[in-house]
Amino acid sequence: MLSIKNLHFKQKDSKEEILKGISFDAQRGNITTILGPNGSGKTTLFKCIAGLWEPLKGEILFDGNSIVKLSFRKRAKIFAVVPQEHEPPFAYSVIDVVLMGRAGHIGIFSMPGKKDYEIAKEALKIVEIEHLSERAYTQISGGERQLTLIARALAQETPVMLLDEPTSHLDFRNQINILKKIKEIATKKGLIVLMTLHDPNLASLFSDKVVVINSGTKIAEGRPEEIISEELIRRVYNVEVIISKINEKSIIYPVI
Amino acid sequence: MKNIKAIIILLSPFLVAWFALFFGAYGVSPFMVIKILLNESFHIFDVGESAEKAIIIDIRLPRVLLAGIVGAALSCSGVTLQGIFRNPLVDPFILGISAGAAFGCAITIGFLSFLPLQFTAFIFGVTAVIIAYGVARIQGEISRLQLILAGIIVSAFFTAMVSIVKFLVDPHKLQNIIYWLMGSFSLADWRAVKVASIGFFAGVIPIFLMRWRLNVMSMGEDEAKVLGVNVKRERLLFIGFSTFAVAVATSLCGIIGWVGLIVPHLVRMLIGPDHRSLVPLSISAGAAFMIAADTVSRTLTSFDIPVGIITALTGAPFFIYLMKRGGKEAWVK
Repeated sequence: MLSIKNLHFKQKDSKEEILKGISFDAQRGNITTILGPNGSGKTTLFKCIAGLWEPLKGEILFDGNSIVKLSFRKRAKIFAVVPQEHEPPFAYSVIDVVLMGRAGHIGIFSMPGKKDYEIAKEALKIVEIEHLSERAYTQISGGERQLTLIARALAQETPVMLLDEPTSHLDFRNQINILKKIKEIATKKGLIVLMTLHDPNLASLFSDKVVVINSGTKIAEGRPEEIISEELIRRVYNVEVIISKINEKSIIYPVI
Repeated sequence: MKNIKAIIILLSPFLVAWFALFFGAYGVSPFMVIKILLNESFHIFDVGESAEKAIIIDIRLPRVLLAGIVGAALSCSGVTLQGIFRNPLVDPFILGISAGAAFGCAITIGFLSFLPLQFTAFIFGVTAVIIAYGVARIQGEISRLQLILAGIIVSAFFTAMVSIVKFLVDPHKLQNIIYWLMGSFSLADWRAVKVASIGFFAGVIPIFLMRWRLNVMSMGEDEAKVLGVNVKRERLLFIGFSTFAVAVATSLCGIIGWVGLIVPHLVRMLIGPDHRSLVPLSISAGAAFMIAADTVSRTLTSFDIPVGIITALTGAPFFIYLMKRGGKEAWVK
């Protein structure tokens, strides 16, 4: 279990806190989604959990142990981080990008070995893009790049996977495709999956738990069909919506 | 196909070196060169004490070896800096390392002759790259263009400092500094080869061993961190080793620009960006390129043209080509 306890954060030169005491839990085999509008603090929260920014106050516990002060190497054995899809400066092949997931397991003077290759290939198989293995990472589609980054996270062999807006640059089909894949992996491997999303519909469709934040504070936490209400969306996004249920999932329909 | 290319690149320095040994003002036959070399290492043939032997063993061989080692060091340093700064347009010359190292050498020749040249060259080379990096790094991110501009600023500063040293130093030493600064292998001897080898082993070999990390580092600071890399420490190691290799090279043959930029690019175009093969192949291609450039510089005219001029003449148009072509590529953004 991953527990975030009373997390505070502020930028060095600013007075106002961006995170004002956020707490929640994320369970094994579940997808936990941090939902919030732009500027709500969800990226900040993500960076604090990933260890890129140091929180001002508060604790992050994995199975009861604090991980705030861990080195990047040790942290890379607990968290695999999937960044937003991007283009690197050099055109590495897909398999070379996936192999980078092994960096935390390999010494500074060593190269990835046979075992690392097998793990990387297995990861590509799980996300079903083995056929792209030798293609240049810069020349595949955005959806395929996102799958490559997920494969890299799988190659890291960690109990927790963090995803930063995994659907942000993708078209409709790829958004659904990626999130389905993530859900399948989370269930099959029993991973703790924690991601940020800004689309409440996608959050409601694919999450086991939603943590809604706005202006650096937690507004609500729980199963999406229980907590996402017309009133909540109005409060957080300032948009009038109608919510109806299809297959027991909440569908959020903006009134225009 | 890739493998064949890689083998050709790996063998190229030996072929070019062989060519460089028999080519020159005093003609020696290609077979005689092999005979003399075999005799020198295994005592198979008896070639006696001929003028040809003296030219090959005492004059051309150390020069070819020095050019090869320096070319390998500059090219290895270039590929390393391009990787850690995620910027295909940088090399030790553009980032000001060469100018910093040259300043270190100049003050040592001029005023601090009790210190080893390589030591001051290293200190000021590292100072230069750290200043360039510090200037370019604003709010945790470094923009590619800013890094190049910062390098130009640092380079200009240290070049001016060298001019001050030239102005203040006694005229007898001035001659030494000017001649050495032009960048030339004409003073090559076996002692220089030994010093260069030390620089090569201490600077290039560790980079060779750590080369896979460059793949991870080139994905960006945050990404490398979450993948488990101690970015601060490893970046410092890479900067330290590559600067040391450049400092030793500069202390022996002055400022030779552009090699560290051109060679890794050509190799990347031929065999791809994976540093596991890119680093060793850049090392050998750098050696071949430098030996070839030096052979041109000593045979083109009856004078020995400084090799730095030859590399700049090829490098500047190449840089323009890269900038134009780069418009279509990701790293410009």
